[in-house]
Amino acid sequence: MRASSLRKLVRLQLRRDRRGALSSSFGIAIGIASLVFFVALGLGVGRVVREKIFPVDSRLVDVVPSQLAIGLFGGGKLTQDAVDRLTALPGVERVYRKMSVRVPAVSFFDGDFFGRKLRMGIEVIAVGVDPDFVRADVKLGDFSDPGPGKPIPTVVASRLLEIYNKTFAPARSLPQLSATMLIGFSFPVDFNRSYVAVVAPGPVTSTQLQVAGISERGVLAAATIPLDVAIRMNKAANVDAETFTGVALQARSPSDVPVIVAAVKEMGLRVDDQERRMSENAGAAVAITTSAMALLSALICLLAAFNIAHALSAAVRARERELGVMRAVGASQRDIFGLVLAEAVVLGVGGGVMGTLTASLAALGVDMLASRVLPEFPFKPDTFFQVPLWLPLLGVALGVVAAIAGAWLPARRAAQVDPARVLAGQG
Amino acid sequence: MISTGGLSRSYSDGARGEVRVLDGVSLEVRPGEFLAVVGRSGSGKSTLLHVLGGLDSEFKGEVTVAGTKLAGLKDRALARFRNESVGFVFQSFHLIQGLTALENVTLPSAFASVDGDDAQRAREALTRVGLGEKTARLPSQLSGGERQRVAIARALFNRPKVLLCDEPTGNLDVQTADEVIALFRSLNQDGLTIVAVTHEDRLRAAASRVLTLVDGRLFPDPDPLSHGGKGEKS
Repeated sequence: MRASSLRKLVRLQLRRDRRGALSSSFGIAIGIASLVFFVALGLGVGRVVREKIFPVDSRLVDVVPSQLAIGLFGGGKLTQDAVDRLTALPGVERVYRKMSVRVPAVSFFDGDFFGRKLRMGIEVIAVGVDPDFVRADVKLGDFSDPGPGKPIPTVVASRLLEIYNKTFAPARSLPQLSATMLIGFSFPVDFNRSYVAVVAPGPVTSTQLQVAGISERGVLAAATIPLDVAIRMNKAANVDAETFTGVALQARSPSDVPVIVAAVKEMGLRVDDQERRMSENAGAAVAITTSAMALLSALICLLAAFNIAHALSAAVRARERELGVMRAVGASQRDIFGLVLAEAVVLGVGGGVMGTLTASLAALGVDMLASRVLPEFPFKPDTFFQVPLWLPLLGVALGVVAAIAGAWLPARRAAQVDPARVLAGQG
Repeated sequence: MISTGGLSRSYSDGARGEVRVLDGVSLEVRPGEFLAVVGRSGSGKSTLLHVLGGLDSEFKGEVTVAGTKLAGLKDRALARFRNESVGFVFQSFHLIQGLTALENVTLPSAFASVDGDDAQRAREALTRVGLGEKTARLPSQLSGGERQRVAIARALFNRPKVLLCDEPTGNLDVQTADEVIALFRSLNQDGLTIVAVTHEDRLRAAASRVLTLVDGRLFPDPDPLSHGGKGEKS
């Protein structure tokens, strides 16, 4: 059957049965709209979880010492020797060592805090890391040990800044801070001093921490400082300055991670996958919810397919003579089958496009409403939705699939219309 | 042009069992002949026409139309045969509402295997049946006679070898029927082979040969009963 004739006949039929066509397309549009809406919502929320709340680098493996040190050679401890062995593992590209400052520290701030008078003392946790681990995000200096008496460069976790801005600052009427504002900000810190904990026998080291960058790799509830500074502080306080509190292994590719994890465990070390698991759990929760809503949407599409089946069956019955005429002038059963399916495809495309547009508008509306009505909270995104290019295409494709599924039996029935019967005599 | 041998067609009819509508029909139609087949309602006239036109393929026997043996042909081959070799004219016109006269006439081109200047050919066909000025009219804007002419133009569109007409004047008034019959004669004089099943005496009179179908068998007209119910090759 010629394409131009097919177009003409399909257009004719849809024009003649506008109400039926609209009703069929509307059913599909509802199903596709809800499908696209919920999948976009799931993808959007999933992205926030993955990229902002639990930003997990799929190539990083966090190794921590075993809780029990075993073996003759201090197996389970993260010594430099253990680090060297970790570096030699197949699939490991880079190794970043981490060492906590093993004495408590406090900061007492009394002065101008970005235009507000602030007087506050807090306990501070500091973790030293190999500079290369965060160097890409360092905007001030080169993130190395500046030596005694000089401000220590510090990287703040971007998530900590988000939590400060969305909860801590509003609760205490403190100013909102941006990364740019924070760079260069200094505050005093006394190492080996605490308001609540027991300190080490060594001396107190008073110094300044200076924000040098904001990084997703920064330790969440701690000041991330150069590794050499942490070693220096621990030595000054006469505490362990030899073993590391953690090592981040960067795999060559995410596919190398399982092998590395297995090798790490074989070495008697532990893999700290708490964040990864939390990310996975949150992602799974989002995925399950999204799947449930997508299933509901698929059911709506199924109902739409039934609606199309019903509408097209009625249309085929009403057009039996017309189909008979087409057979008489040369249409094969396949031509008639294709004609009815083509009508369904148009309904499906129409419904799919309508549904996708409706979902996009609904998503826009929800985002606008959320920005006006919902209070600020950590990691609140600008948009709750993610609409990759494939999603509207999938929406339209599913609309077509639903329409074709609904049209299949009516199309077969149409193809089997006996022209001799329907064209005989007066009919 | 048309040849059948031992053509039989039966239907299953519930309690009555199998009903034989065509019973060993043998028929020869020469090229350019205008054959009228008459008979009572239910005598099998339309069935014969449907078999000859490839609309009904569940027959027994041999049927050859315009050089094509129809027995055992698959659906696609039959569709091509209907598209290229025969044209149908029905009592109820069977035009597609919503399509103009021109579009109705070009309908066979939708299923044709070769391209051509469809609109020009359709205009020629409509002009041939005297409707060259009404190409843009919808069926609802045409009289009964005009609709039948459009249907004839549609049947002529692909330049068939045989025109098969099923009670073509059955829904027309006397004057319009005469016009349509005159058109058939004219087409026949141009060399077109026509087979028409009819009750209409005037159409019967216009034919070059008349056969009567009785109990599924063909007899020469005018008095089938004089043959004693025994069919003979015509």
